Amino acid sequence: MLELHNMEYSYPGADRAALVDVSLRLEKGECLGLLGANGAGKTTVLSLIAGLLQPDSGQVVCPGSGNIGLVPQTLAFHTRLSVQENLELFADLYRLKGPRRQQRMQRMIEATRLEGLLKRRAGQLSGGQQRRLNVAIGLLQPAELYLLDEATVGIDSLNRHHVLQAVRELINEGETVIYTSHYLPEIEQVADRVLLLAEGRVQLDAPLHMQQPKRVYIRWPVQMPLAIERFMNTHATQWQHAADGLLQAELADEASWPQLLRLLAEQDDAPLHLEYRQPGLEELYLRASGGQL
Amino acid sequence: MRLLALMRTEWRLAWRDPHAMGVLFVMPALFVLIMAHAMSGIIRTDLPPLQLAVEVPVSSPASEFFLAALQAQLPDSSLQSDDPVVDARIRLPDDFDDKLLDTPHQGPTLSFAAASDTLQRARIRNAVILALAQTRLAAFLLDSGLLDEREPLSSRLQHVQEQTESRLPEYQILSSGSLAASANAGQLSVPAWLIFGMFFIVLPMSSRLQQEFQSGILLRLRVIRLAPLLLLVGKLLPYSLLNLIQFAALLALGCFILPLTGLPALELHGSWQAYVLLAMCITLASCSFGVLISALARSSEQALLLSAGSNLMLAALGGIMVPKSMMPAAMQQLAELSPMGWSQDAFLTLLVGQGSVADILPACGSLLLFALVCALTGTFLLRHRLRNTLWTSQN
Repeated sequence: MLELHNMEYSYPGADRAALVDVSLRLEKGECLGLLGANGAGKTTVLSLIAGLLQPDSGQVVCPGSGNIGLVPQTLAFHTRLSVQENLELFADLYRLKGPRRQQRMQRMIEATRLEGLLKRRAGQLSGGQQRRLNVAIGLLQPAELYLLDEATVGIDSLNRHHVLQAVRELINEGETVIYTSHYLPEIEQVADRVLLLAEGRVQLDAPLHMQQPKRVYIRWPVQMPLAIERFMNTHATQWQHAADGLLQAELADEASWPQLLRLLAEQDDAPLHLEYRQPGLEELYLRASGGQL
Repeated sequence: MRLLALMRTEWRLAWRDPHAMGVLFVMPALFVLIMAHAMSGIIRTDLPPLQLAVEVPVSSPASEFFLAALQAQLPDSSLQSDDPVVDARIRLPDDFDDKLLDTPHQGPTLSFAAASDTLQRARIRNAVILALAQTRLAAFLLDSGLLDEREPLSSRLQHVQEQTESRLPEYQILSSGSLAASANAGQLSVPAWLIFGMFFIVLPMSSRLQQEFQSGILLRLRVIRLAPLLLLVGKLLPYSLLNLIQFAALLALGCFILPLTGLPALELHGSWQAYVLLAMCITLASCSFGVLISALARSSEQALLLSAGSNLMLAALGGIMVPKSMMPAAMQQLAELSPMGWSQDAFLTLLVGQGSVADILPACGSLLLFALVCALTGTFLLRHRLRNTLWTSQN
């Protein structure tokens, strides 16, 4: 559906490359969560995909019509037009006609809960309502690929829920989406895969819901008992004891977990915190980005 | 479909922008009314009555004749004003009667009030000279027996007036170029502020485009591969139509509203085709200038400063604020550099010179050339800028 091959890009006059050897492959119906700190290269990737920039080297392969639906971070509509007039304008610009036009407009209005606001001037809407209109205009376009850049920034949780639901519906219908956000729970909610960028390089490209090995999380009141550390040396494939007192470990096999429980029960003190679960996106992100969020 | 959608949107946005409407219609209309009244004090076709005090130390038939002749020259003015502040005092000499036929002749003494202007002084001086000449002619005719002393004063005056006055056939020479000197207040003010208002189309045009750059609307349009030329045409056509409406509305103000305020109505001489041609040339020049300013400005603040600043400069240079006829020769030459000056010249050619389409062709040619240069430069710069519109909000 969309392939980026070894893309390199430097902005004119910049002292370092914005992107270095970035490759990715996105299948139809897939949603990619694009993550990275400010300046990591997310916007550059989106700009190259949208054709706003040409790579210095490498290639973007986007088969089909090449139509891209865009939801920029800024509110890209006319504030002196009503919600209906804005949607009509962009429907004309997207060359939507006839029943398909009506059907698509109706669908976006319903998905973004704008039914009761159609006659209102866009400039008179609340911040959350304006965000919903911004998303509706972007998703109104029949496209091969949708790019959503911080689509929910600055809005309350209810409005965020509405926007994410609209995006999720789009993905469920087989549309392909690249979604950037600083809110990791949002990415977990909509994305199938994550691509983490740091300083223009891909740090992580992984399916979000793959079976990550379970990890043990233990926090001890004062000093971690030596017996526990010895246990980890023999039963964990990797483990670390962070400065904040939290011990994280990946056990070699699940059978070690009951042994660990028995060992913990033999100790004089009880642990403050004990978990055995798959790591979340935030932990993956922090680990891959070296702590930058 | 896309072009129609863009035009419809631009049209709606312009009419819903109260600032744009204020700048395009309210501001020039107010300027027309205020400046036409202000100019009417300087450029008058009906001269105001004067307050004079004629002092006659020794009354005589000759002094009575002089007073009657002077009153005939200044029919609305008062010669024996009780007002303590008069425009001038005219004192006849004690021996006025005796020395009328002397050569050289010593006439009455004129004392002007400090506030009386050059025009008033010249008017009084001319009236006194003519009345004095008629009085002296009457004395000569009496002395020669050609005028009967027993005739009533009015009859004698009429006789002398017939001897001294000639019919002067007057014709208006159709002309073009700088005719500001012979225009009245309405003929100067209406076109001047109409042109100024039309060129102010630059302000909403450039401000809107900056907002679209900053909001990300143009980014959206770029991603859907909308041709920059289509975008420009979609903006230019509605603003051109708005310019033409301004032209018609402000001319109508001059023709129908100005007389209600006590000033003469603007009379539209010449063919309607000439006015249509002129309206289209000014529209093309102002909208193309708008494209150039839109391309040069990098923010709404810059758009405001560049639009207002350049318009004020062109207006000051082009004889909009001060008529060219009141400028020194060097400034009048500078005025030839301003498209507002060319527009004003063409307007006066029609209104004052009663010119035709052919007479305004040179001015229209200059306006079209200006439009072409602005449009080409502006389009080139805008295309470049649109091509470099990046994802971020700051472009």
